[in-house]
Amino acid sequence: MRRKLATASWLVAAVLALVVAACGGSDNKSNTSTAAKSATNATALKKGTTVNFWIMPNGPQPQQDMEKTVAAFEQQTGVKVNVEVVGWDVQLDRIKNAAVSGQGPDVTQAGTTQVPFFAALGGFENLNDRISQIGGKGAYAPGVWQTTQLQGQDGTYAVPWFTEARAIYYRKDVLEKAGIDPATAFTDVNAFQQTLQTIKEKVPTIGGKPISPFGMPGKKAFDLVHHVMPFVWDNGGAELNDDASKSTINSTQAEQGVDFVAQLVKKGLFDKSMLERDGTQVENQFKGGRLAVWIGGPWVLSTIDRTDDKNWVAAARKNVGVAPMPAGPDGKAFTFVGGSNLMMFKSSQHKNEAWALMKYLSGDTVQKDYANLLSFFPARLKPQEEVGNSDDNHKAFYSAIKQGRTYAPIAQWGPIENAYKGRFGNILDSAAGQGKPFSEGEVKSELNAAAKEADALLQQGS
Amino acid sequence: MSTPTLQPDVSAEVTQRRVPREPRRPRRRHRKSRLPYALIAPALVFMVFVHGLPAIGGFVLSLKKFNLFTFRQLFGAPWNGLENYRSILLDSDNPLHNGFWGAVSNTAVYTFWTVAGTLVLGMAIALLLHRKMRGQRIVRTLILVPWIVPSYVVAVLWSFMWQSDVGIVNKFLVDYTHLLGHRPVWLLGPNTMWAIVIPSIWRGIPLAVLIFLAGLAAQPQELHEAAAIDGAGPWRRFRHITLPLLRPLIAVQLLFGVIYAAYQFAIPTVMFGSNPGPDADLMMTFIVRQSFSNSLYGLGAAASTLLMLVMLVWVAVWYRAFRRDLEVT
Repeated sequence: MRRKLATASWLVAAVLALVVAACGGSDNKSNTSTAAKSATNATALKKGTTVNFWIMPNGPQPQQDMEKTVAAFEQQTGVKVNVEVVGWDVQLDRIKNAAVSGQGPDVTQAGTTQVPFFAALGGFENLNDRISQIGGKGAYAPGVWQTTQLQGQDGTYAVPWFTEARAIYYRKDVLEKAGIDPATAFTDVNAFQQTLQTIKEKVPTIGGKPISPFGMPGKKAFDLVHHVMPFVWDNGGAELNDDASKSTINSTQAEQGVDFVAQLVKKGLFDKSMLERDGTQVENQFKGGRLAVWIGGPWVLSTIDRTDDKNWVAAARKNVGVAPMPAGPDGKAFTFVGGSNLMMFKSSQHKNEAWALMKYLSGDTVQKDYANLLSFFPARLKPQEEVGNSDDNHKAFYSAIKQGRTYAPIAQWGPIENAYKGRFGNILDSAAGQGKPFSEGEVKSELNAAAKEADALLQQGS
Repeated sequence: MSTPTLQPDVSAEVTQRRVPREPRRPRRRHRKSRLPYALIAPALVFMVFVHGLPAIGGFVLSLKKFNLFTFRQLFGAPWNGLENYRSILLDSDNPLHNGFWGAVSNTAVYTFWTVAGTLVLGMAIALLLHRKMRGQRIVRTLILVPWIVPSYVVAVLWSFMWQSDVGIVNKFLVDYTHLLGHRPVWLLGPNTMWAIVIPSIWRGIPLAVLIFLAGLAAQPQELHEAAAIDGAGPWRRFRHITLPLLRPLIAVQLLFGVIYAAYQFAIPTVMFGSNPGPDADLMMTFIVRQSFSNSLYGLGAAASTLLMLVMLVWVAVWYRAFRRDLEVT
């Protein structure tokens, strides 16, 4: 018996030893945090310091592109930048864990809609005292600047880095064959629908191959909400009320917007097989010549001239046109504007060097060069305008960005977007004849459920 | 009942001589019995750290108001009592309540069809392969291929195969064989359940075949021969000889099959993303989505604990049902 007890005590001691060791680790963390604070007070950059920088897979060669971009910074300052590419599938968890544990890089890229969530975790530096060095709020469009904030707090937790917006991609040759003027094809939602109807009737095939008027991915796509919300905004609806305390996705206006998209499926203008695919697969359907009209971001523009992108068929490659999203019944047009921001971790031991890197990446020329490399848009107004005026397709995107809108900067937005995505997906599936029978009541019921979920998520913070 | 002693003195002497020896016996036994404990100690410590402590931690978190606003506090998050359990089990006003019960129902359906399909088809193929035929070894090797394909790859492959317009499944059913007059949509609506059940069976069959083949090889041939001489046909021989002898193997596969299916995550997630929709949302996809995508860690932990409890009940039921078979094994 005594021996059994001794064995048990040994096991308990071993467990305790490991737990104590783990606690010891957190003491060290607080020491390093103090050290980091004192380092922040120093203003001069320390040569030889390494700034760890997490980026996401931006473009086909993210690591090399970024290393090239920061080479000049490293030369000028003597600060080394250690770039690590973190996949989009894991970045939310890695950044979240780094923010909470204090074990992470100095600077990270974050999606614009993620910034409030990360800021609410409390692991990121408030940059209020530094942003005047990059021109402050005035250097950015209001919608873009809003993505650096956390509603209810007086802080700036990120610096806008690059911007994207959703616009309409269309096939010039298909519109020409259908006798549609591209200048008026997508001006408002009625024109948009009429264009799709005409394509359906007059151009069922092109070059001997069948082509569908329109398609976009369903709930499998991470950005389904970005594609549906412009139609909700066009109709005067919104995702949340003004103080972001309650969902308004079940309002009549929002319902009209969602119903408009669902009716495209119902009327056979929307290729329902696209609902089975994810965003990249549907993008490739457009590139492969199976869709005449599609909603996408600016990154596709850079692939048109890339011969190594084998997803393009020749006819599609040489006939790409871009138009801003259509206006709603009251003449106002909206689109989702997103992109990525830069955030500095509170636990960074090299805050001055980290800020120097953020400042460098916010330079007009650096922004323009990097955005060109990725075919995104710079976040800053001046270089944004320069890129926007470079050609017709970029011009369409530039005007899309100007009509851009983003979501409320609240920590719960991510989960709310997930709830909306699931419900929008169910509505589109239902319109495609799958799942519950489609009706006005079904749309309303799904949106009520979405609002209920969103309200419950909003309650979390209370 | 004691036997009368003829030589009490001698007996007493013997007893006296034996007395000092007695304490040694248990010591020797102890020394012998320490070895197994020492051998299982590393595994025990590993189990405590890898399974025990996280399970206890998960249970503690299920009693907390643990969400994105309290994420930094971890175990210091405010107590919430049994509220997480109440809200997902009983509170119809909680939006997760319906989702939870939907996931429970889907998981039950998925588990039933996956386990039943795997066992029935696994046994049928094993019976076919047990017969002597040409190229038996090659066929046996090829049948193992789906088993070595990772779940992720299985889900990616099948998600292409299921596509209603260009997928091979519809091409086969509609274009090549004309078995169906319309193209079914597999990746939306109610068919999404079959879209995850069938690949899961496809992947599970090789292991079932392997186990059943081993069981069939171990069956005494004389029994079958004697039954055949007595006039028993193939079906009676299968029902009264083959099946009862395979019962222990069926039991083991049933245990692992149900647990594996109830914890299925990879196939629906890869095929449909974080939200597979109302018809294919399983317990694990629900738990992971609510916990990590929606930051409702406390609710997710409560749902995980409930799933774990159901699995414990299943193990207990299984043990009662197959205890004798285990003894035979």
